[in-house]
Amino acid sequence: MTDDPQRIGSSDDAEAEIDLRPRTATPVPSRKRRPWGALMVLAVVVVAGFVVITKFLTSAVDYYCNVDEIGQKDGCDAGRRLRVQGVVDAGSVADDGTVTIFDVSFNGETISVRYDGDPGGIFEECIPVVVHGVLKNGTFLGDRIEVKHSNEYEAENPDRVKESEDGECSQSA
Amino acid sequence: MTPTSERNVTGTSFTRGLGIVTVLGIGLLIVLGLFVSPADVNQGESVRIMYAHVPGAWLAYLAFIVTGVSSAAYLWNRTRSLTWDRIAGASAEVGVLFMGISLVTGSLWGRITWGTYWTWDARLTTTAFLFVTYVGYLAVRGLGGSHHQRARRSAVLALLAVLEIPLVHFSVRLWNTLHQEASVAGRGTDVTMDGLMLFSLFLGVIVFTLMYVWLVLHRQRALALQDMVEDFGLDAALAARRAEEVV
Amino acid sequence: MDDLGFILGSYIVTFGSIALYVASVVKRSRRAGRVVSREQRPWT
Repeated sequence: MTDDPQRIGSSDDAEAEIDLRPRTATPVPSRKRRPWGALMVLAVVVVAGFVVITKFLTSAVDYYCNVDEIGQKDGCDAGRRLRVQGVVDAGSVADDGTVTIFDVSFNGETISVRYDGDPGGIFEECIPVVVHGVLKNGTFLGDRIEVKHSNEYEAENPDRVKESEDGECSQSA
Repeated sequence: MTPTSERNVTGTSFTRGLGIVTVLGIGLLIVLGLFVSPADVNQGESVRIMYAHVPGAWLAYLAFIVTGVSSAAYLWNRTRSLTWDRIAGASAEVGVLFMGISLVTGSLWGRITWGTYWTWDARLTTTAFLFVTYVGYLAVRGLGGSHHQRARRSAVLALLAVLEIPLVHFSVRLWNTLHQEASVAGRGTDVTMDGLMLFSLFLGVIVFTLMYVWLVLHRQRALALQDMVEDFGLDAALAARRAEEVV
Repeated sequence: MDDLGFILGSYIVTFGSIALYVASVVKRSRRAGRVVSREQRPWT
């Protein structure tokens, strides 16, 4: 790219009048420059792509199970790291400040979960969650909770708040 | 400002009109999305992020598909033109921008609702990979060489990269994931959405579409100008060498 | 409310980054426009 303030017109004009002033510097065609910037971005991209794939494959080693699949489906066994999906049972959440204990159900099966700390996010009863952790002696020891958002978008309605505070979850799992 | 540097280089009366409509649409989207539309029963206020996140992702897909189609048009002998190559490049650039927006807003939304900025879940991972791929595509465009070399190289890459899009879209169904299924264009059986929310989302899609068209038109013209400048640089060098031979 | 920052932040990121991109496109085309005369632009 040239910063020459002289405007180059159509190519006919450029050939018609030859510039007789002493040339200061020949314009360097950009292709002679090595595109170091682009090469560097490319290198970063290749590394980033590799990291993304590795991360995905290694974290996918935690089997993803629904509550009712534990002990049934291959890989969903006690003693190994799992990600368990289910709905938090109404009235089951007990939080003593350091440990949160609650039940998670899916398709009629229930397990109890013990989680060190406050789950955060929009964690509450009657919502679908994914808990990362290990099943030991019938209790799932979670170290990470993610709230799986359902597909329903409804306007907040003051009447509905009461409803959801009742014992049963009004939403279907 | 010197008389040679104009303020409006790549604009036409069409893009100017489009630009005005787009800016008005952005204003309306902000008002609707942030103030008028209701909070969601589960997500609360965080649902407002959806009005930028979802259209951003959709238009990014669209942009990458346009890149793929115009790359094919370039590679096909009968329609070969550098204009297709520039449309492909401009569209990919806007797509990367929109995808980046979608990733950032999605991660802010995830922090509120899932309690985490990022998780290596199928949808998120495949989206991140798609983003990285197209950043790579843009880098390949910048590798240099003649315009047609650039066009051929990047067109082949674009046709490979566009294959990732179905993978991203169906990742939610292929693997069990944390990310919800598409809210509107999904299987559509049990999707319920409040009227005003749905309207805000559709407005978002329209506004992002207008922005996309405006940006690609301008960027494609700017690329044409930059190509011409490179050609002139070369022409000037050749003319100088010819002048030397005469002397 | 804690989430307010996240929500406003997402809108700022969205429209802020688009504005920055627009500025960069305009800047690049103005610089190129100094060399290419008006008659050579196919869209004018």
